[in-house]
Amino acid sequence: MTKIAATAVFLTLLTAMQPVWAAEQLVLIVSRDSKVEQLDSLDLRKLFLGLTVTYNGDRLRPVLDEADSRIKEIFLQNIVSMSDTTYDRSVLRLTLIQGQIKPIVYKDIALLIKAVEADPTAVSYAWAKDVAHDPRIKILRVLWYD
Amino acid sequence: MPHIYLREMLLCLLLSLPWANSALAQHEHSSSDFEVFVAAEAFHGTRQTRLGDADPWIDADVVFGATQHQFRVFGEYYITPDERDLERLQMGFEFVPETVLWLGRFHQPASAWNTEHHHGQYLQTDITRPYIERWEDEHGIIPQHITGALFESRQSLGNEGAIQVSGGVGASPALSDHELDPIDLIGPNPGRHRLSVTGRLAYLPQYVGASSMGLLFGHDDLSVSSARTLASLHSNAAKLNIYGAYIDWTSEPWRVVAADYYVDVALTEINRNESFSSGYLQVERQLPRRFTIFGRIEDSARMQESRYVALFDDADGDLEIALRRQALGVRWDYTRRQALTLEISHIVALSQTSNELRAQWSAAIP
Repeated sequence: MTKIAATAVFLTLLTAMQPVWAAEQLVLIVSRDSKVEQLDSLDLRKLFLGLTVTYNGDRLRPVLDEADSRIKEIFLQNIVSMSDTTYDRSVLRLTLIQGQIKPIVYKDIALLIKAVEADPTAVSYAWAKDVAHDPRIKILRVLWYD
Repeated sequence: MPHIYLREMLLCLLLSLPWANSALAQHEHSSSDFEVFVAAEAFHGTRQTRLGDADPWIDADVVFGATQHQFRVFGEYYITPDERDLERLQMGFEFVPETVLWLGRFHQPASAWNTEHHHGQYLQTDITRPYIERWEDEHGIIPQHITGALFESRQSLGNEGAIQVSGGVGASPALSDHELDPIDLIGPNPGRHRLSVTGRLAYLPQYVGASSMGLLFGHDDLSVSSARTLASLHSNAAKLNIYGAYIDWTSEPWRVVAADYYVDVALTEINRNESFSSGYLQVERQLPRRFTIFGRIEDSARMQESRYVALFDDADGDLEIALRRQALGVRWDYTRRQALTLEISHIVALSQTSNELRAQWSAAIP
């Protein structure tokens, strides 16, 4: 009887936790003033590797979110599909070859949101929970969810 | 235009970059950046009485760039205890994404190695560069620094691939004592620079990838600017035609880099032609714990018979011209943006053979 009760409590807790896990989403964001409506995966990869990507004639600027280690891991796996070392070398390589500008890095989500809001050409990503109700930010799509 | 004015203008432009940096940063469509690649090297060579010209014990390569709308400025300043050179200074306009017309001093696009690694040691897995790819001030025999216009374009091909086209036209180096003498953006220029036309056509299996393969072409009209070289060559000019092919393929954990060049030299005054070829194959393999092992074979044909090649050997105790080389080494990226590399090689030069051992620390800052 005790075992059954314990299992029931465990299952209830697990069910209660499920929406929290399901809500963990990484989303692609731009400023609310941005003209960008959508970016496909190849353009996103080009952008974060330092290549030129334009939208309606505007040159887009990549902004890296490194507020926590997990978000960086998901970025490397799902957006640029590279290991940390390979990504770093690729960006350095473009800097050396033709002076391409490296993406700006933010380790504080509040500063990142402020930077994205201020620049209509900025493109970044963040946890959905951090930007979902922020009127300064436009969410383009979900990049990853768990 | 007197050289002094040209130098002053360029210096003003360079000095204005840090100011431009902060000014540009306030503008929503502009940005700037810089990176420093540093390396320190220890060397031991048998049968060599002194360190080679390509082996400074420490060097720093400062790369800086600024972008505003479609305009770009980019430079590379290389510093060693004996040398301070503005290796590249390019001002460009990007017509469409990844199609840029540059003006300034650039690295000619027909070099498979130098267009990938330039002067930064950290991004080069090994320590040495193949002899055929050496810079002019290291007694390199192919012109590498051209001052003029460079067109570069990368366009999509199929679902993932791309075609890359690069073409350069400008002033080639002059042929001085034992080395080629390119236009110097900061120091004095004795002149006598003629036409250089170089190009590359490459296929990239992935638009954003590092792999590529392609064809290389170069035509350099070199005027002789020294009496000693004129006496050796019996000609006041040499015309080089260079045809090459290369592959730089990465399939992790493997990487293969290979290039082959055929060089035709026409000595205009004595109506004599000569030719030689040179190539290399480098294989790299990544290992666990951020180790990478690499090996390279360099070989050549008819270089020892070339009067043009012999001009670059100054018999000063180091090896300027290698006919063959086998190199083997290991690199350890022991922390972020820092690496230690060890390389051993056996060299057959124009007049002697030698074994070399090199150890290097390299880094990218910040």
